[in-house]
Amino acid sequence: MKGSCLCGAVVYEAEAPGLLIGHCSCRTCRKAHAAPFTATARVPRDKFKWLAGADKLRAFESSPGKNRHFCAICGSHLVAERPAEPHVILRVATLDEDPGVKPVVHIWRSHEMPWLAYEGDIKRFDEWPLGR
Amino acid sequence: MKGSCLCGAVVFEAEAQAGGLRIGLCSCRSCRKAHAAPFNAYASVPRENFRWLQGEDRVQTYKSSPGKNRHFCSICGSQLVAEHPGEPDLLLRVALLDEDPGTRPVEQIFRSHEVSWLAWEGDIKRFDEWPSGRT
Repeated sequence: MKGSCLCGAVVYEAEAPGLLIGHCSCRTCRKAHAAPFTATARVPRDKFKWLAGADKLRAFESSPGKNRHFCAICGSHLVAERPAEPHVILRVATLDEDPGVKPVVHIWRSHEMPWLAYEGDIKRFDEWPLGR
Repeated sequence: MKGSCLCGAVVFEAEAQAGGLRIGLCSCRSCRKAHAAPFNAYASVPRENFRWLQGEDRVQTYKSSPGKNRHFCSICGSQLVAEHPGEPDLLLRVALLDEDPGTRPVEQIFRSHEVSWLAWEGDIKRFDEWPSGRT
């Protein structure tokens, strides 16, 4: 399946039957994504390839040996990886096609911040609240 | 309260309006792609209540729709704020705050844009840290 960043400059293809998707609420993902949590999945390196815009990628080493790659034009994070490991860690929210599976785990919930509480009594809207 | 990006190069300070920060979650397609996450947490603050304390020269901008600018750190890729030039408010990315604003999210918008492979409710195993025995 294919995925891309917000601006469309970077496009990738990943093949991974049985993709295991997990949400991560760790502090580093919270800061990197500026979001309550991100969704990730491992893909073997030989099943992942950049189709466009590899020259637009920028990497940030968020902890020793862990590189987070994002689009230098729009800032979308696309994959993270440790050079010695045989897989990349896909940012599943950038997929443009349904991998056919749903998230199975949610890790590092102890890092969650109270002001990002996303469960419980929150008004939910399909789009934008009327009148605003 | 203060906030910062992942690498720490960019630091900002924001003050909520009277009544406190009104935090919302947004699941729209643009937020999903910009943040590479199921949803983003935002809050409006008047422009005069926001200032960069450090690293403004590291801030890079992408116009995600006509008149909407999303600013992110050029070093680490953290989304920082979004804004429409001409509007009196900025949209903070609340996940970057380093201090508790004391309020909690009150709404979630654009749930119709959510995709099945990012489902976060329901039957998911949840761990405080990392499941033991996994490498």
